Amino acid sequence: MHSNTKFWLLIALLVATSWAPSSARAVAQAGQGPKMASIGPLAFGPDGTLFAADNQGAAIVALDLGAQATGGAPGAKGLDALDEKLAALLGTGAREISITDLAVHPKTRQAYVSVMRGQGAGAVPTLFRIDGTGKIDLVSLSSLKFQSVELPNPPAANATGRQNPRSNVITDMGFADGRLWVAGLSNEEFASKLRAIPYPFTNVDRGTSVEIYHGNHRQLETRSPVNAFVPYTIDNKPYLLAGYTCTPLVKFPIADLKPGDKVRGTTIGEFGAGNRVLDMIVYRKGNQEFLLSTNNSRGVMKIPTNTFASATPITTPVETETGGVPFEKVTSMNGIEQMDKLDDQNVIVLARATSGSINLQVLPLP
Amino acid sequence: MPVRLFWVVALASTLAGAASCSRSSDSSAAPAISLATPDGGAPAYVALTGLPATAVRTLEQAHLTPEQWTSVLRVAVSAEAPPMLGDYAVVDDIVRFTPLFPFDQGRQYHVRFEPSRLPGGGADAGAVIEATVGRPASTAVPSTVVARVYPSGDVVPENLLRMYVEFSAPMGRKSGVEYISLLDHQGKEIPGAVLPLDYEFWSPDHTRFTVFFDPGRVKKGILPNVQMGRPLEKRRSVTLVISREWLDANGLPLKEEFRRVLRVGPTDLDPLDTAAWRIQPPAAGSRDGVAVTFPESLDHGLLMRALGVNRDGKEVEGAIEVDQNETRWTFTPTTPWRAGTYQLLALDILEDLAGNQIGRAFEVDNFDTVDKGPNPQTITIPFRVH
Repeated sequence: MHSNTKFWLLIALLVATSWAPSSARAVAQAGQGPKMASIGPLAFGPDGTLFAADNQGAAIVALDLGAQATGGAPGAKGLDALDEKLAALLGTGAREISITDLAVHPKTRQAYVSVMRGQGAGAVPTLFRIDGTGKIDLVSLSSLKFQSVELPNPPAANATGRQNPRSNVITDMGFADGRLWVAGLSNEEFASKLRAIPYPFTNVDRGTSVEIYHGNHRQLETRSPVNAFVPYTIDNKPYLLAGYTCTPLVKFPIADLKPGDKVRGTTIGEFGAGNRVLDMIVYRKGNQEFLLSTNNSRGVMKIPTNTFASATPITTPVETETGGVPFEKVTSMNGIEQMDKLDDQNVIVLARATSGSINLQVLPLP
Repeated sequence: MPVRLFWVVALASTLAGAASCSRSSDSSAAPAISLATPDGGAPAYVALTGLPATAVRTLEQAHLTPEQWTSVLRVAVSAEAPPMLGDYAVVDDIVRFTPLFPFDQGRQYHVRFEPSRLPGGGADAGAVIEATVGRPASTAVPSTVVARVYPSGDVVPENLLRMYVEFSAPMGRKSGVEYISLLDHQGKEIPGAVLPLDYEFWSPDHTRFTVFFDPGRVKKGILPNVQMGRPLEKRRSVTLVISREWLDANGLPLKEEFRRVLRVGPTDLDPLDTAAWRIQPPAAGSRDGVAVTFPESLDHGLLMRALGVNRDGKEVEGAIEVDQNETRWTFTPTTPWRAGTYQLLALDILEDLAGNQIGRAFEVDNFDTVDKGPNPQTITIPFRVH
């Protein structure tokens, strides 16, 4: 997921405030063989640059896949028990790996899967490519050219506070309007912040505080997390569509997402409590366009987008379970944890089977 | 380099006797599979020894592809699994397979040598040899424990938003949500109390995990709260249980289950008011700490970074201590205080146990309120040192 048709979660990636100007800019680096402590989420840029979040290393890396993006059969084929197959290649058991994301290359349509090998102190980031015949190839990270940008230190009123146990969890990334958009959470603030990073990386902006009215929560939700987002165009203007915890759908005009400005998103849908969005894509079928979202407790939802421009903003409490723009549940898709648009007819997903194993499946767009 | 060979279990058979003897570089050797663990910390590798000299020379010059190598010598997590990734080499007449990542401790690996797939090998090259090799399991015993849980006090507000669980040693990567439960006063598990965000809310050193309670259950009037009630009931007790199944950084469970009983106090809906804080200024010339006391417990994580001391616009260096159930913050400077005015700095992101911030309650039903910007605002509170 997390391609340019997807959302991410941002957890308060705050920069230092005016009385700590020395840390107000993040550091950008370039070279070969990025030193990554972790990998995932992923997002492709339109030219095939693969952006990978390194939450443990508090950085985002732009990978030039070079020759490793060539060869192999175009497209991607589904594979049952993908977790067991990847674990076997890595010389371990399925319980010892974590598949952290899935993204489709915009040109070859091959699938890339980020994997952490190990659950403990020695866990290592790895990246695999799956082609149209189902062949799995390890992408050698050490031979890739890269640019990386460190995320800014947390805001702190004292020196030791800037090295304190706060950490960021990047939850989703997407490329739109020439910039990489990053969403995330922090382990100390119940906050949501979208951050835009121009590519090539030069600096990380101050982020944009994103505020919505949450129909089910009767209040402004500046401090509620964005779980996933996807770039989207309404009336020829670029927007981000964001899925929040418990589970409003919110649109933001990108033109308004300027560093330091305050933005109020417009809530156009309310998809139920006790739920969060895991992933989103936009696709077209026939003459109609849809948003497809997969959720941790409410399954997969198919949402026509033709009402998004004119949808009545939700500004009062929603007393019912759901509200706003209409949607239908896709009951044929179950256990979907990650997804990306494979081509004009198909979506590729990571689906958890009842056995607990994770299957890579290619499914027709619903 | 000295190498120890061990853990070999030959499952099937040796090469055909006459052929192997006549072609071996060592007439007493037969092909054999073992796991070698070099001294000095170099990674363990699978060693295929006893190959005929001609086979060794051929392998050295053949420049096999990875696929060809795996057809000759296949190392995998099981007989049915695909071969694992790694490098092949011929060193000192020994074929080595070094895995891309070190062999797991305690895991058994299946190795298969197929002589007929050697370059120039044929049907009479010899019988297949299979073996199971592995590194010994760790003998470490569980020792990591829950060191402390914040908030420290026994009473928490009904709308508690966050807890920090600190461990005595680094933990594994997994989110802890599935290992944390809350029991009600009757010992029954409270479903859905903890926010099911399976993100890795770890501190960078993996010794502190943050638990968020479901705001949908905490906030007033919203649907899940109406339907299910708050997870904590006022005037009752709840028991926090942390399962020992949660694995530490060495893959070991905790030494013991952790339990702590908390009493549930009144709902806290009020924003922090800095006017209610009490500052006890130290004496000039001393390095005594300046203590700030609050009328309620505040969030431990935020207390460690959202407060600081300035003088003349410059940050004062020093150490921070938080105690008395997070109602007291003490700053001890590295150099003695000078007479004059200092400023206590407070970021408005500082929160109490219910997520109320300075000047802003967690539950604000005010649609028109707009933050001043994306970054925290700083409140300055002067104090004089005499």
